[in-house]
Amino acid sequence: MKYFLSILMATVFFCTVQAQQKTVVSEKKMVTVRGGNYKPFFISKSNRPVYVTSFRMDETPVTNAEYLIFVKSNPRWRRSKVNRLFADTNYLRHWKNDLEIGVSNKIIYNSPVVNVSWFAAQAYCKWKNKQLPTVAQWELAANGSPKDFKYKSLTDFILDWYTKPSPRVLPHVKSTYQNQYGLYDMHGLIWEWTFNFNSFAASPDSRRNGEDDFKNFCAGGAINVADKTDYAAYLRYGYRASLKGNYCISSLGFRCVKN
Amino acid sequence: MKIVIFVFFSIILFGCSDMSSKSAFVGEVARSTSMPVGTVSSESIYQLADTFQTQDNKKITLSYFMGKPTVVGMIFTHCPYACPRLTADIKDIEEKMNSKKGVNYLLVSFDSERDFPEQLKKFANSYGLNQNWTLLHGDENAVRTLSVLLNVQFQKDATGNFSHSNIISVLDKDGVLVFQKEGIDADPAETIGTLKQLLAKR
Amino acid sequence: MIQISKKSIFSIQMFSVLLMFSVLFFSCKSNPGNSDDGSNKIDTTLTGTVSAELTFAPNVPKPIAYTSPKKVMVQLEAIEKVMPISDSSEYTFWTFGGHVPGNFIRVRQGDLVDFTLKNAPESKMTHSIDLHAVIGPGGGADATSTAPGQSTHFQFRALHPGLYVYHCATGPVPLHIANGMYGLILVEPQGGMPKVDHEYYLMQGDFYTKGKYDAPGLQDFDETKALSENPDYVLFNGRVRSTTGANALTAKVGETVRLYVGNGGPNLVSSFHAIGQLFTKVYMEAGSEINRDVQTTLIPSGGATIVEMKMQVPEVINLVDHSIFRAFNKGAIAQIKVTGAENPSVYQKLK
Repeated sequence: MKYFLSILMATVFFCTVQAQQKTVVSEKKMVTVRGGNYKPFFISKSNRPVYVTSFRMDETPVTNAEYLIFVKSNPRWRRSKVNRLFADTNYLRHWKNDLEIGVSNKIIYNSPVVNVSWFAAQAYCKWKNKQLPTVAQWELAANGSPKDFKYKSLTDFILDWYTKPSPRVLPHVKSTYQNQYGLYDMHGLIWEWTFNFNSFAASPDSRRNGEDDFKNFCAGGAINVADKTDYAAYLRYGYRASLKGNYCISSLGFRCVKN
Repeated sequence: MKIVIFVFFSIILFGCSDMSSKSAFVGEVARSTSMPVGTVSSESIYQLADTFQTQDNKKITLSYFMGKPTVVGMIFTHCPYACPRLTADIKDIEEKMNSKKGVNYLLVSFDSERDFPEQLKKFANSYGLNQNWTLLHGDENAVRTLSVLLNVQFQKDATGNFSHSNIISVLDKDGVLVFQKEGIDADPAETIGTLKQLLAKR
Repeated sequence: MIQISKKSIFSIQMFSVLLMFSVLFFSCKSNPGNSDDGSNKIDTTLTGTVSAELTFAPNVPKPIAYTSPKKVMVQLEAIEKVMPISDSSEYTFWTFGGHVPGNFIRVRQGDLVDFTLKNAPESKMTHSIDLHAVIGPGGGADATSTAPGQSTHFQFRALHPGLYVYHCATGPVPLHIANGMYGLILVEPQGGMPKVDHEYYLMQGDFYTKGKYDAPGLQDFDETKALSENPDYVLFNGRVRSTTGANALTAKVGETVRLYVGNGGPNLVSSFHAIGQLFTKVYMEAGSEINRDVQTTLIPSGGATIVEMKMQVPEVINLVDHSIFRAFNKGAIAQIKVTGAENPSVYQKLK
C-alpha cells in the first residue's frame, strides 16, 4: 500500500513538474526503478544491505544537446564563466565554445555530456527539479538484467568495457543495451556521477581489504568486500573514491533521479 | 547584518541571471546547493548558499564565519570513538593557540537526522566548548556539498551511524581552504603554524 | 594540501642525525656496506634539483654523475593503450608511460624524490603507484589515487640502495598488474654501481587472455585464468619476441653486461637463467648481498635481481624463465647477441 501510494505521489508530482516545464522541448523520459535491497560492495557488521525505495530515473544519461539548454539559461555554468572551485579546467572542453557544441561535433549532440563536474551535475538535476542518484540507487538500477543481450554475463560485459580505452568519439545514448527497468546505457558507455560518490571511507588501495584502518570507522568492525572476484565493482568503487567534486573527465557524465 | 546584505546581493545576482530559466532558484536562494554566489572570493567555500542551524538554533550561511580564520571538522555526536578524538584535537589546537578570540572553531555534523541544535548544544556542553565554537546542523544536500568541498568522505550505514575520514581543515578569513591535516591525534604544529600566519596577515 | 610528506622527511632527517651519532659510537663495528637498518651514514643535505632521466626497456638511464643528494623530479603518466602482445594478438595494456614495463627510474641513495603521477585524460580507470623503494603509507599508493586527466604528488627519501619494483595499487590491484602496470626504480648506493660495459632493463610478467596464445585479434583479460594462475603468456618486456632477433640486446666478447631484471608477476615466480652463460655476480633479490657464479636465480613476483655476466665467446644467449614450458610455449625468452672473435680456450666445437 505504501508502495502504491509513493508511486501515485511520484506520478502526481511528476505530472505537475511536467506541466510547469512545458517550455522545454521533449522532456526526458524517466522510468521507475522498483525498490529493492542494495548490497554494499564494502561490507562490515553495520554496513549491511539496505532497502532502497522505488524511484524514477532518467532513461539515458544527459546528452550534450540537453546540457546545452541548461548552460544557455544558466550563464554561470558556461565554460568561460564557471568557477574553478566547482569545475576544473577540463569543463566542457570538448565543446566548441560557451554556447556551441560545434558543427563538426554534431555527431555528439546525442551523446552523453561528459567533462562535467559533480557540482555541475548537481546544478543540472536541481534545475530539472531532480537529484543525482545515490550510490545505492545507481547500483540498484545498474544491476538490472539486460534485455536482449549478446554477452555471457553482465559482469563480463562491464569488465570488457572497463578495460578498453575510451573511444575517440563517444557513441550516442541508447547505443548499448536496455535493462529490465527500461534504462539504457547503465554500463558500457560512460561513468556516471552519484550524489554521494565521496562515501567510500575505506582506502582505495584494495590490498588491505579485510582489515582497514579501524579509526576511520565509528561504526566499527572490519571492512570486507562483498565479492572479491567482482573486479568490475572493484574498479567502479575505486574510481569513485579517486574523484573530487570539481573534476571534469572525458568519460564521466550523469543522469538524474526523482524520489 | 552582513548576512542580510549578502543574501540580498545574491538574490539580486541570481535574479538577473536566472530570469530566463524556470529554475526553482529565485526566492529559494538560501536552500540552494552547489551554486556559486558572486560576492565572495571565487575560491571561497563561503560561496555555498545553503543554510545551517547553529547549536543555538540560529540560521546562518557559512559566510557568517567571514572575517576570521576558521578551523573546521566534520563529525556526528553519536560517534563513539573518532569524533570525540577529533573534537579533542581541535580543542587542543584552540588551547595551544592561546588566544581568546580571532579564530572560529567549527564542527559540522554529518547526521542531518539526529544532530539538531538541541543535540549539538548537549554535545558542546559535555565537551566544554566555549563561545568560539559553532556546531552546525544542515540538510543532507548542504552537508554533502560541504564534504565534497572539504574532500571529506563519509557514508551512512544501516545503523544510522557514519564511517568517515577525519580531517581538520583551516579556512582563511575569506573562506578559502588553505590547509588540511588528516588523521586523529595528528601533530597540531603545522595547523597552529598556519593559523598564526593567517592571524599575522590580518 | 595534506601535508604528511614534509613532516616525515623532517623526522627522517632527525632520524639520520640520531643514526650519525650512533655510528660515531659504534664505528668500530661498521662495515663498508650498510648497518642493520641500512640507513646510516646517509647524507641527506640536498645540493640542488635535477630531473630524473627516464628510459624504456631495454634501456637504462646513465649512471648517476652527482655525488651528493639532490631533489630529483620524477613524473610518470598512466596510459591505457592497445598494443600487440604477440604477432597475431593485441591486448589493452595499462602502462606507466605507454610501454610495458614502465619507465626505468634511476636515483641515488639519499636523494629526495619529488614524484608526480599523471593519469592520461583518455584513461578510463583510476590509477596509482606503489614503489617498493618508498617507506611510507602504501609505498606512495595512499597519496597517488589519480583519476583520469588528474595528477597527484608526493615526496619520499631514497633511503636504501637496491633495485625496486613499482606497480599500480588501485583496486583490484591484481588486474592493474596483470595489465602491465609495473616497472623498476634503481636506488644507487652512495658510491654508485661498479662500472660495466652495458646495462639493460628486462622485466617479466604473466598475462591472461580470453583467447589462447597468439589467438588473432584484440584479446580481453581472462579473470578465471588469472585467479587460477594459469597464464597464456609469460613475457619479458610485455611482448612475445620483444627482445629477440633484430631486437636482441648486444655485447662484444670481453665485455661485461649487467641486467636489471624485475618480475611484475602478477602470479609467477621466475627461475631466471641465461642459456650458454652464467651469472658471475648476482645481487641477490636486488639487495646488498652478492652471490657469485650462479646458474639460475629466483626472482619473486614483485621482486627484482641484478645479474652480471662476462661475455667470453660469440653466441646468442637466451635469457629464459627456466620453468621451461614458459620459455618454450608462453614467450619467456629474451636474447643477447654477442659478437667478436672466437675464444677456443673457453669453448670450441669439435668435429
